[in-house]
Amino acid sequence: MAGVGLLNFGFEFLEIFAFIVLATVGLAVIFGMMGIINLAHGEFILVGAYATTFAFAAGLPLPLAMLTGVVLTAVFGLVLERLIIRHLYGRLLDSMVVTWGISLVMIQLVRIAFGNAAPGIGIPFGELPVVDGPAYYLVLGVLAVGVLGGLYALFMWTDFGVRARATMQDAETARSMGIDTDRMYMSTFAIGSALAGFTGALYAPVMTITPQYGTGFLVEAFVAVVVGGSSVIVGTLLASGFLGSVNAVFTNVTESTFIGLVAMLLAAIVTIRLMPDGITGFLETVRQRWGENR
Amino acid sequence: MGVSDPTVKTTPAVDETGEGSSRVLQTRGLTKHFGGLTATDEVDFALEEGELRCLIGPNGAGKSTFLNLLTGQLEASSGSIYYDGREITGTSPHERVDRGITMKFQVPSIYDEFTVAQNLRIPLQQVVDGDEYGSRTREILERFDLLSERETTASDLSHGQQQRLEIGMAMAMEPNLMLLDEPVAGLSVEETADIAELLEEIVADDGVALIVIEHDIDFVESIADRVTVLDQGSIFREGSIEEIRADPEVKRIYLGDDH
Amino acid sequence: MSHGTSDELQARVTGLLGGPNVMGNSPAFWAGLAVAVALLAALPVLFGYYAAEIGSVFLAYALLAMSLAFIWGYCGILSFGQVAFFGIGGYAFGIVAINVSTMGGLTLGLVTALVVSTLFAAMLGYFMFYGGVRDVYVTILTLVVALVLHTFMGQTAGGEWAVGDARLGGFNGMNGVPDLGIGVGLIGYEFGIAAHYYVTLGAVVATYLGLRVLLNSRFGYAIVATREDETRTEMFGYDTTFIKFAVFTIGGAIAGLSGVLFTTQNNYIDPSVFGITAAALPVVWASVGGRTSLLGTVGAALAIQFLDYRLAISGSEWALVVIGSLLVFVVLVIPEGIAPGLHDLVVSRRSRSTSAESPGSDGGANAEEVSD
Repeated sequence: MAGVGLLNFGFEFLEIFAFIVLATVGLAVIFGMMGIINLAHGEFILVGAYATTFAFAAGLPLPLAMLTGVVLTAVFGLVLERLIIRHLYGRLLDSMVVTWGISLVMIQLVRIAFGNAAPGIGIPFGELPVVDGPAYYLVLGVLAVGVLGGLYALFMWTDFGVRARATMQDAETARSMGIDTDRMYMSTFAIGSALAGFTGALYAPVMTITPQYGTGFLVEAFVAVVVGGSSVIVGTLLASGFLGSVNAVFTNVTESTFIGLVAMLLAAIVTIRLMPDGITGFLETVRQRWGENR
Repeated sequence: MGVSDPTVKTTPAVDETGEGSSRVLQTRGLTKHFGGLTATDEVDFALEEGELRCLIGPNGAGKSTFLNLLTGQLEASSGSIYYDGREITGTSPHERVDRGITMKFQVPSIYDEFTVAQNLRIPLQQVVDGDEYGSRTREILERFDLLSERETTASDLSHGQQQRLEIGMAMAMEPNLMLLDEPVAGLSVEETADIAELLEEIVADDGVALIVIEHDIDFVESIADRVTVLDQGSIFREGSIEEIRADPEVKRIYLGDDH
Repeated sequence: MSHGTSDELQARVTGLLGGPNVMGNSPAFWAGLAVAVALLAALPVLFGYYAAEIGSVFLAYALLAMSLAFIWGYCGILSFGQVAFFGIGGYAFGIVAINVSTMGGLTLGLVTALVVSTLFAAMLGYFMFYGGVRDVYVTILTLVVALVLHTFMGQTAGGEWAVGDARLGGFNGMNGVPDLGIGVGLIGYEFGIAAHYYVTLGAVVATYLGLRVLLNSRFGYAIVATREDETRTEMFGYDTTFIKFAVFTIGGAIAGLSGVLFTTQNNYIDPSVFGITAAALPVVWASVGGRTSLLGTVGAALAIQFLDYRLAISGSEWALVVIGSLLVFVVLVIPEGIAPGLHDLVVSRRSRSTSAESPGSDGGANAEEVSD
């Protein structure tokens, strides 16, 4: 019995962890690399979900429907970046305000165009044995870790990643070294958008899709970005792991997802109070302190 | 962090009590690390009341870090700071200002969008009441040759005027000790001479002690009583400008830096 | 710059109200403002009670708008969560006034609501500013607080979520909130529709004048200096952390008052006041009207909410699309907002014409100054 309980707890953790990682990652890439908080992040997720749902309803197999969602969101992000976002580089608060305007417009346009409900998709892969829940959540957990691993590889090991990080650290110097920083911002924004679209696609079978769908990801995404700090990938991983475990423990003990959520937010608030630069900012300070004492 | 350690080696320059002493500022073992880098290393420094001291040294010698430790913008890794006989290590920047320390930044950091008069109001309203305010403003504007620019937006001032405004704002605080980070960088020869005259006047007439970071050795020669040379975070030499000029070791660290 | 010595009192009053930190201090400006207030005061007489009901809500929004213009425009703190204090004020009034169903309860409700929303803002502000939370993190945290309140109030539908007789009611909201009033015990006066309208208008005018006096005081200069350059301002001996904390708290109190005026007009409040759309509105008003202009923000709040209302009664669903697009357009084209944009235009036009008439009239004015 204890073994099953532990398995159930592990499963719950994985479910929450995957949700936070996937909700956050698109936002975190754009924030970490470009310093822009995209308040339309939820609506990018919404685009991915709607595109997946309609492609699936039109008869595409689910993986292809999801791919459609990712590609369409990336294209959508690219268009917005060219039309609007690129005028706001270096204007942090303005970019937040403008993306919020975009968010308002998108939610309402979706409502006008598609009404308050969209066709559903059944959850694939069926139920798990022993543990109480669908096998699809395991897939989400694996994909969440996979996405972080992939991003790490992309930004640390590829030529593109080196140029993107150079741009992020000092755009002026990067330009003088012949890096097309404009193009770097464009690609990074497209990658962030594609990730949001991927999240929307993955959760299309799980959550009821309404125009407010994207808002459901926002709290977790914002909290994890703030708690994670400036180092995007490691920050997202650590914040999701930490917040996810707090949430899972409290949900498990009290059997109330609401108390789990409240506990997670309280943990986030305490973390920010103690580490205003987030977990990765704190680790950086610790590393420096350690350097001092050598 | 910023806690004084009584076991730190005592140098003859240190005066524990400050009672009856003419020292306005003193540091003991002042050290600041950034990660693995040591920006200032066990600096023991003392400044007399009304003294004008120049701080020179090659790039990266720790001059700006030292100044920022004195103002409280940076927190020391170890060591202590005494001002007016009292320890001020670990106090906040605004507390230090209240006690009479003020700083002029390297980049003119006046309030760009404010007029000259509004800029002056920010420090002045800290020290004088409403009635005195108008006359004090006029006094400072006259002294720093800015009367005709009273209603000019600060960003429209010339570089030299901006430097004068900033020194005027620092003086409005009626400080006891003023720290200046490269006050003549980028100024013309005439503007530099103006500033030199102003600084000497501030010391002579107002009795303010000054610490000036400067690269321009001619400027240093024109104003300084004594010169402290920093290198790699430590005090390398201290003496009169003639002694420092004549010192071959000082030349060596400068040449080593430049070439 | 010599003051007219003929009317010392007038000089002192305008000196208190005017100054470089707020726009408009000319006789024409004050006359225009008096006309605008008179027109607003005549609204219930001209258009009847229904207009007063709608107008009360718009004016409550205008107050909320000023709370954001004050902290964002003047101190540089961008809060996305002003609606949190607004909603807390509304709910707190409802809880007290429903439980204490006397005239004194209405006064108690108002006082409690102001205290609770102010304390909540103070706690959040203390936590953020003394904890070293800065810039965009402040913005995100304030939004998260509003969204969390939205989630929290949304799940209070069950009967166990009641404070005495006041049921929170989940997404269905809290019903039966009494009108605003003043009184002690059983004696007092409960504001009807027109009275509520005038009380709200009075609150808007008083807050506007009060903020003008504050912004042109010694503290006001410190606020604006903190916005311009925090490090520099700290070096002049100002406790900028406290300044930000105090400004944020005052903003929370104003937002709390606006929430009470809003809730007592509708006799109802629900969690949508904490929602992401509601949270966006103050940011839209301040961005479009111009966050550094209290009146511009008020004007934008009134105009945008009127537009929203007209679209809604005509059955159109396009209001949010229009509002969102307006926001994007203004930030891209006039980043400082409409009122400061117009002000700059007028000032530069005027200074160009005067400098053309009398070049070098300023004595020491040099060539660069004229060309600027």
